Amino acid sequence: MLWLWIGLGVLAILVVLVVVGYNRLVRLRNEAGTGWANIDVQLQRRADLIPNLVEAVRGYAAHERGVFEEVTKARSALQRAGTPASAGEANELLTAALGRLFAIAEAYPELRASENFLRLQDELTDTEDKISAARRYYNTTVMHYNTGIQSLPWVLVARPLGFSEKEFFAAEGDVAVPEVAFTPST
Amino acid sequence: MTLQQQIRRNRLKSGIVIFGFVLLLGVVAGLIGAVLDLRLGVAALLGSVLYAIFAIGSSRRMVARMTGAQEIGPEQLRPLRRIVENVSIAAGLPVTPEIRIVDDPAPNAFAAGIRPQTSYLGVTTGLLRAMPQRELEAVLGHEISHVRNRDTYLMTMATIFAGVIALIADIGFRMLLYGGGRSRRGGGAVVIVLAVVGLLLAPYAALLLKLSLSRRREFLADAGSAEILNDAEAMALALRRLQLDTTTVAYADASVAHLWVESPTSRVESERRGVLALSSLFDTHPPLEQRIAALEESGGFRLPEQLPADAPFAVELGLT
Repeated sequence: MLWLWIGLGVLAILVVLVVVGYNRLVRLRNEAGTGWANIDVQLQRRADLIPNLVEAVRGYAAHERGVFEEVTKARSALQRAGTPASAGEANELLTAALGRLFAIAEAYPELRASENFLRLQDELTDTEDKISAARRYYNTTVMHYNTGIQSLPWVLVARPLGFSEKEFFAAEGDVAVPEVAFTPST
Repeated sequence: MTLQQQIRRNRLKSGIVIFGFVLLLGVVAGLIGAVLDLRLGVAALLGSVLYAIFAIGSSRRMVARMTGAQEIGPEQLRPLRRIVENVSIAAGLPVTPEIRIVDDPAPNAFAAGIRPQTSYLGVTTGLLRAMPQRELEAVLGHEISHVRNRDTYLMTMATIFAGVIALIADIGFRMLLYGGGRSRRGGGAVVIVLAVVGLLLAPYAALLLKLSLSRRREFLADAGSAEILNDAEAMALALRRLQLDTTTVAYADASVAHLWVESPTSRVESERRGVLALSSLFDTHPPLEQRIAALEESGGFRLPEQLPADAPFAVELGLT
């Protein structure tokens, strides 16, 4: 009889541990999901700014077709990207293409003086800062989540329960902000 | 510890603290009821609960009034707003807190509000004039950590309850002394002595409870800022800069002292007193030296002798 009670007690403790642990994993996964949504909002905002920017530059430098194409292609690659890693890569390409676009803009003083262009440029810089802020948060949440499902005992059951590791949103060129020689318009 | 775990832990702590305060309140009201008049005790209890509810509802405005923080227009100080937005995003806050400006030469900042959705940050003009961008971000990171961790909620509750307990204990004490035999319900001398001691000590118990909470929150918020910005040194540099500055906030009101990034009142004095362990029990903030040391240890760096001479952020904002 005594052994039955002990067995039941152990079982109850196990059930509580499993429930608490499972809920913790769910919470961590949701946090990472929110983190990704934050990045996505900023990526979308960046992509939305680009057609206007291209138009603004085209008005002054219509013959620089190659760069426009490059920027547009990078933008649609970013919009198509399905995973954090590929979005990170596409975002990098877009940053590089925008860098070239701004370098070209250098050669057109009228463009540089255009209010519209300055505003767009300012907004893009802001978006880039926000992407890197959101990335920091997202990567922290992913780290906690991945650590959670890689540690014992969850590593044994996480996958069957539907917890799979999440990718980091990596950006190599975090420090290499496209060089723009304007003074900020703010 | 992740963000959500931190928040849950803080909520739990808030619950325990509020329970502690309610218990203390019950003891005070019980003492009044026992030695003076039962109805008086009940009235004191009801009155203070009502007052607490009212104070929680109006705490946002009250803090603004006590600190002299002014709202700014949506187009004003855009670079500052951007920094706050970026730090909030990096902290994973659902919304960016509003910014209010305190026109005061002392560099300081605070966070207020019950929920993250209604929180705001107060920043003195002195802070903008003293701190370069990197350190300003660290200070804002500290305040945003307070919002994120629900410290502002916890501390608002603690302040209100400490105030209420002090008030009714004081009233009870006075009535006991001057009310004479008319309102006294009798009872032995022992009960009276107990009541006097209890009523005298209750406000201090409440205050100590509140202050010990407040000091612990500061270390947490420093660590939070370092984590959000991945830059423990910036926070330490900002604290060092605050340490070297000796101006105090003119609007400083002791009842909101715990809200600021560093104690807004005579800091130099409290730093000196820091040696006396007992008196430091009554500080709202741990000594800056200790906070810097904690950051140095967790970040694995030593602060340079000389602070960087970067231009303060006010230059960028066009403030003169």
